[in-house]
Amino acid sequence: MTITKKQTGSTLELALAGRLDTMTAPELEAALSKDMGGADSLILDFSKLDYISSAGLRVLLSAHKAMLGKNGMKVVHVNDIVQEVFEVTGFSDILTIE
Amino acid sequence: MPEKSVREMGGWELFHYSLKTKVFRATLMGALVLGLVAMAVGLSSYTMSMIDRYIGESFGLAKSTAVIAERWISEDVIAHMVMDIYNGLTPEERAQTGTPEYRERFAHVMNEKAFKYLKAILKDMLETGDVDDIYFGIFDRERQALVYICDPDESEKTGFWPGEWETVEKTEIERFYSWDGKGKLYDISNMPPYGWMCTSGVPLRDEEGGITGFILADVTLTNVAHGMRRFVLVYVLALLATIILVGWLMVRRMKRMLVQPINAIADTAKKYVEDRRRGITATDHFSRLSIRTGDEVENLSLVMAEMERDLTDYEEYLTQVTAEKERIETELDLARRIQADMLPSVFPPFPDRSDVDIYASMTPAKEVGGDFYDFFLIDEDHLGLTIADISGKGIPAALFMMTCKTLVQNNATAGFGPSEVLSAVNRQICQNNREQMFVTMWFGILDLQTGRLVAANAGHEFPALKKPGQRFEIYKDKHCFVLGGMDNTVYKEYEMQLEPGTKLFVYTDGVPEATDKRDQAFGTERMLAALNEPCQDDKCQAVLERVQLAIARFVGSAPQFDDITMLCVEYKGPNGEGGGSCRR
Repeated sequence: MTITKKQTGSTLELALAGRLDTMTAPELEAALSKDMGGADSLILDFSKLDYISSAGLRVLLSAHKAMLGKNGMKVVHVNDIVQEVFEVTGFSDILTIE
Repeated sequence: MPEKSVREMGGWELFHYSLKTKVFRATLMGALVLGLVAMAVGLSSYTMSMIDRYIGESFGLAKSTAVIAERWISEDVIAHMVMDIYNGLTPEERAQTGTPEYRERFAHVMNEKAFKYLKAILKDMLETGDVDDIYFGIFDRERQALVYICDPDESEKTGFWPGEWETVEKTEIERFYSWDGKGKLYDISNMPPYGWMCTSGVPLRDEEGGITGFILADVTLTNVAHGMRRFVLVYVLALLATIILVGWLMVRRMKRMLVQPINAIADTAKKYVEDRRRGITATDHFSRLSIRTGDEVENLSLVMAEMERDLTDYEEYLTQVTAEKERIETELDLARRIQADMLPSVFPPFPDRSDVDIYASMTPAKEVGGDFYDFFLIDEDHLGLTIADISGKGIPAALFMMTCKTLVQNNATAGFGPSEVLSAVNRQICQNNREQMFVTMWFGILDLQTGRLVAANAGHEFPALKKPGQRFEIYKDKHCFVLGGMDNTVYKEYEMQLEPGTKLFVYTDGVPEATDKRDQAFGTERMLAALNEPCQDDKCQAVLERVQLAIARFVGSAPQFDDITMLCVEYKGPNGEGGGSCRR
């Protein structure tokens, strides 16, 4: 998995590519814990993300909770496979998906 | 390079490839090349100086003779006498040179006083000087010949009588005539049968300065060749002796400085390995090695000593780590067994009940996983069914799983419905969930008396439902958020009526996400196909085994990453009238 970071003002945007699973979730967790402190809102670009596992969902949930007090987290460009996972697990009810 | 290592060699082979031999050979080759170059230089300078000496000697002698002859003898008279006769001959007569008739024409010249004097002087000079012959002659420039006037050599073979002649190269003649009086006048040419010969000459002049003839001195250079041969012989012998001596000294030095220390290190390494094999780890073989060569070899031995110490330390550390790892492995194994024992695994679980058939299985991936299934009777008529998947793996997931399972059972047996059970479990988990772990769970309560199923789905996979006489199909039930995510989540339940003979199949994502070598997922379609395969046996156990087999065939030898957990339940009606709906 590769993570591309873009910071615009107080908005942090991370573009993910590849698979977000048990092996790669810690990478995202590390990237988030490093950069999320200075951001008011977080955008996760999933246009190139092929797959997400429960370990990946856990990181999303943590990030979501961390951003609740601020301007929130947004997940954008979700493909069908990942969207299905979001729907099955009920994450689609919790997260802001565009 | 040799095909085997030095360690496997013996005797001659070892000698052939040893450092000693290599050094010896290299020294030999180097010294030989050097020696040969030196010899070539030496030889050429020796030859040049030898030839120079011969030229000097013969020229000097010719010059002295010329001075004496010019001053004391009227050699020009004799020369004129001979040349007059010579010039008067016809070509045929001239061609007879060397014959008695020819010699007879000039014989009277030899009686001249001047001739006798000249010959005596030449003879004396020949005896004092180190030349082969010294004589008086005139070059016939027209016919390219050297006409002898007076030759002290009286031998029949090599001596010439007055008037006799021999052919000479034109260049030689011109050289002698055009001499400007500076340096030494000589010519070196190969003249069979004498071989290489150096002829030095000094012209004699009459009062007007015209050349009357030449005093010529011959030296054969065979002596030079002999000298060269002797020189080469002595030189080569001396060279070989020196090279062998130097080579031997080099080898000795090499042996002391390089071969012996290296062999000592190698022997030590061997002992070290032997000790290791025998289980002796705390050794100081290399530290005891005292190599004091003050170069890379000493450095090598020091590095080896350091390595030995480090290895000993490292081995100790490794032993500890391995022991620790083994302990953890054992505990993990135990945890895996305890976890498996937590799940109901005796089938059929309710042997005296005909209203329900149930079967479940969990195939854990390598480590302790977080999947679980559960079923339990809440009361005489109500069966609780759970399938869940905990995010993450290992001991944390296993511990979390036990908590979840207990919480579900506790809440269910307290008489709550599925939505209340999930809401309660969610709250309880969220209270203390710093690790942000969550669970996807499907939980249902089946009324065995009526076939009414009430269930709630907390982010878990859709169940598959098979109505009597129909095929298994995905049942898109109402979905709610996972457990442990947000503490205020509301879990909605749904109801459905199961006809006797209805089967329900629930599973974890390990089933659709089992992957083969090419990273392709098993998928829901293949799962449904396996569920609906034509069959002989329609018991829940057979259904699960069919899916299990299909997954195994699909995955092949690819490793299993996730737990594969499945649960199948068939409602047979209060009196066990359902079932037996196998597709053939």
